[in-house]
Amino acid sequence: MKFISFRIHNFRSIKDSGWNELSPDNITGIIGQNESGKTSILEALSSFYSGTVSEDVLRGDMSIPVVSCCFEIDHRLISKLLNEKELPVGVFKQIKSSKSLCLTRIWDEDMGSRIELSGPKVSNSFDKHNTARTEHDLKLQKRIDKCLEKKDNAVSLLLNSEEQKKVLSLEVERYKLLIPEAQKESKMLKGTREEKPAITKLRKTKEKLEQASADLSKAKTELEGLKKEAEALTQNSKLAESSRQARIRFENAHAELDSAYQDLRDLQRIFNTISYEIDRRGVKSELDKLNDKYVKVLQEYDQAREDDILKRNLAYKVLGGVSQAAAEREVRNEKPHIDPFYSREEAGNILFGYIPEFVFFEDFSSLLPNKIDLEDILSGNKDVEGFRAAGNFLKVSGLTPRFFVEGSSRLLKQKIEKLNKDITIDFQDFWRQKIGKRNKITINFELEHYSQSHPDKSGFPYLEFWIRDKQERLYPKQRSRGVRWFLSFYLELKAAAVSDPDKGMVLLIDEPGLSLHARAQEDVLKVFDYIKDKIQVLYSTHSPHLIDSKKIYRLLAVQRAIEDDDSSETKIFNAKSLTEASADTLSPIYTLIGARLSEQQYIRQKNNVILEDISTYYYLSTILTMIELKKEIYLLPASNISNVETLVNLLLGWGLDFVVLTGGNPEGMEIFSDIKQNLCRGDQSLVRKYLINMDQFQGIEDLFSTLDFKKFILHQRVGIPETNSEFLKENRYSRAVLASNFMNEVQDNNLKFGDFDEETRDNFMWLFQKLESVLY
Amino acid sequence: MKKEDDFKLSFRLQKEEFERQKKEMLESIEYASLIQAALLPPTQQMNRFLGDHFILYLPRDIVSGDFYWIFHMDDWVYLAVVDCTGHGVPGALMSILGISFLNEILSKKIFIKPNRILNLLREKVMKALHQTGIHNESKDGMDIGLIAYNSSTFDLQYAGANNFLHFIRDKSIHQVKGDRMPIGVSGIEENSFTNYPLRMKKNDIIYLFSDGFVDQFGGSKGKKFKYGPFEELLFKHHTMPMGMQKDVLLDAFLDWKGDYDQVDDILVLGLKI
Repeated sequence: MKFISFRIHNFRSIKDSGWNELSPDNITGIIGQNESGKTSILEALSSFYSGTVSEDVLRGDMSIPVVSCCFEIDHRLISKLLNEKELPVGVFKQIKSSKSLCLTRIWDEDMGSRIELSGPKVSNSFDKHNTARTEHDLKLQKRIDKCLEKKDNAVSLLLNSEEQKKVLSLEVERYKLLIPEAQKESKMLKGTREEKPAITKLRKTKEKLEQASADLSKAKTELEGLKKEAEALTQNSKLAESSRQARIRFENAHAELDSAYQDLRDLQRIFNTISYEIDRRGVKSELDKLNDKYVKVLQEYDQAREDDILKRNLAYKVLGGVSQAAAEREVRNEKPHIDPFYSREEAGNILFGYIPEFVFFEDFSSLLPNKIDLEDILSGNKDVEGFRAAGNFLKVSGLTPRFFVEGSSRLLKQKIEKLNKDITIDFQDFWRQKIGKRNKITINFELEHYSQSHPDKSGFPYLEFWIRDKQERLYPKQRSRGVRWFLSFYLELKAAAVSDPDKGMVLLIDEPGLSLHARAQEDVLKVFDYIKDKIQVLYSTHSPHLIDSKKIYRLLAVQRAIEDDDSSETKIFNAKSLTEASADTLSPIYTLIGARLSEQQYIRQKNNVILEDISTYYYLSTILTMIELKKEIYLLPASNISNVETLVNLLLGWGLDFVVLTGGNPEGMEIFSDIKQNLCRGDQSLVRKYLINMDQFQGIEDLFSTLDFKKFILHQRVGIPETNSEFLKENRYSRAVLASNFMNEVQDNNLKFGDFDEETRDNFMWLFQKLESVLY
Repeated sequence: MKKEDDFKLSFRLQKEEFERQKKEMLESIEYASLIQAALLPPTQQMNRFLGDHFILYLPRDIVSGDFYWIFHMDDWVYLAVVDCTGHGVPGALMSILGISFLNEILSKKIFIKPNRILNLLREKVMKALHQTGIHNESKDGMDIGLIAYNSSTFDLQYAGANNFLHFIRDKSIHQVKGDRMPIGVSGIEENSFTNYPLRMKKNDIIYLFSDGFVDQFGGSKGKKFKYGPFEELLFKHHTMPMGMQKDVLLDAFLDWKGDYDQVDDILVLGLKI
């Protein structure tokens, strides 16, 4: 997978870098002043791969870093790699059509991170998919909740009804007791003045009893109905209730997990701030306990989640009329707790395993040290100087820890001697063939043990490195920086080849030219060119010697949004916008290509038209004297068509606007295609801005009608059925001589544009209109 | 006696040889005429792209130096009436060259104005015949009337090399003079042919013709027919159906020619818009 573009958010001085494309030829240079953010770009990309960032990369507003990288990919590889689940609708199609894959690493507050499959349209597809899933879950939950609500209402009504029945029963009883009393009272008052009211009271009591009895009877009937209904609903809602309980358990587990994670994180933060080992040990024990708890809670959480999903799906099916046995069977088969679709993170993690390895080649870790403890290498202690270089050395040598366990010190020395010889031969070959040097340098390493003068390490093994030149044996740091750098770089390349040659590598190199002399810096470029087919290189530099003047499109320029304000954010300019960068930022280019020609009169800031050759210049400049155009045009001829790209790079470097005019001949088409690909990266708006191809005209002479060509240029009456340029080529005329003669003839005879025939006039006007349409 | 017999025998043999050669040559030319006829646009093609039209085509010999040519591209139809230098076999050879070149020029299927076609055709002829304008050089070539007609828009463009376009509109006859230079080298330096854009109207009638008819000797005084009477002839009968116009022209030609020999190939093409 080829690394093609990146975007960085919230990483040191970079707020949002926007998308930046790498040079299509695999070598991308980053130029800019000190503190402009060059190294931040390399670090951000390195962190994208390693996942490791320190808190000091955070910006003042503490916004979370996010780094996205896109890679060229064949969609067939996606099908091959993501074959266990499905991708949401639209994701695969998008990757297929764009032929690229974007991965984003997003950090969290604790500097932990995750990788996601990303890209604008890809993210939309994932969002849609997730929304659909959430809606589905909600639908299920709603149905279950509705069922439970109905049951709860029925139970509530039942309880009310029972209560009412009780009240009515008591009332009946009470009336039953009141009637004998009323009868007795009525008998006692017989014949008296109060007899009548007593009889009325008895009658009314009897009536109330009857009413209460009737109400009770009705209530009993109602209660029976409600009982039956509640019973039925309770039966139906058993699974819904079970689902509700599972949901509550899951929510509790979730809360518990959050709490456990928070506790763990808080203690981890405290642990990180403790300096003393004794104090650390105490906290470490507590940390372990919390970690165990977290793992346990996590397991419970997973179980609760699965249970919740299964029970919800089962309840939903049964409520929908499926028998419980059938529903259980269906749920077993469907496995709703297992998502059949890849999440962004799952897909991202799988694909991340196949992107090229990003290696940050920086001085502290990557330059070969004088010595390094074997334990540090084997334990992977990245904080020691030269760790990476020494590791590379062991990898290249094929050495494993077992090598150093050799019982016989004589055999071990023999082995080391042979390895030293092999590695030296390889390096000399590389040194001579790739950068043309003939220095006789050999590299040696030896296994030594600390003496008693190092009480804390006494007896511990360490590796010692030597670089030998003729009879001189010196530590790497005693050698020139160039030799040490190249040697270390060589080890890096060799180690990459040994690791996984198919995986590919993106080499991030911070200031490779630092303190190397000019020639050595140019050698660095040669090495980049040599390896670019297999290894992509991104390097930062201040040095003009690390810029190829013919390939300015390889550069990204970095500067602060507000110049001289180190607190302002970093802006990145690519080949398309390089001319917008400040003069100070572009100073390596100016240094490389000499004076700033934008300040002289021959070439202007705008409206420069780069021409294929001097003949084109003669013809166009002559015709331009005959007509009046609305815009100024400054013609700039290349000495030869093959030099057009050099001119393009020079003008790009000088920050001058230009248009390239090419003919429809094969060479012109090739230049057109190269610039379209390298400078415009296929962007049609840039193609229109920078390029005009006279595709229907092979050469400038073809803009003249055959008659005018014969009349004003060739001065012969001969049949020319082919194009004028073909005629010149076949008959071996000197184009430059004819063009020069034409220029003189126009001047001598005071020819006018109207002297040409309609065809010639139409053709030239077409061309000038095209030029005017893109010029300022 | 013997000498006389020998002479007679020799004479007879020579005559037989001459007859044989003549027969072979005629057979050869007859066959060539089939090829030439095959190179002319088929009647169906002419009907399809031109609609109501007629062609009066009377080669003087078995093969002809005159030819007509048609080419269709999108909404445009190119139509040419061509008169090659000479007649008979030399004219026929030149006509084949002309047909090939015209087809070649339009082979890219992009619209080219008629005058630019003539410019290109002249370049091809000059190159093929190695003409450079020097003294005593062959001046072979062709005269041509070429139109490009768009039946959707009624646009017509004409260019002519020693050839005129005639059209009749609203009861009057109009003449568009082409350039007075041939396709091929001539005494003066080559200039661009002129393009004449015209907007035609429904029922306009266009006539393109070679000079064979007007140069035909005949009549009571054995004179050329000439352009004036020919224009009058066309105008007089232009309201007749196209097929009948052809018959009238043929009758007029035969009447005029009478017992005189046909001096050149005859080609007249009429097209009703």
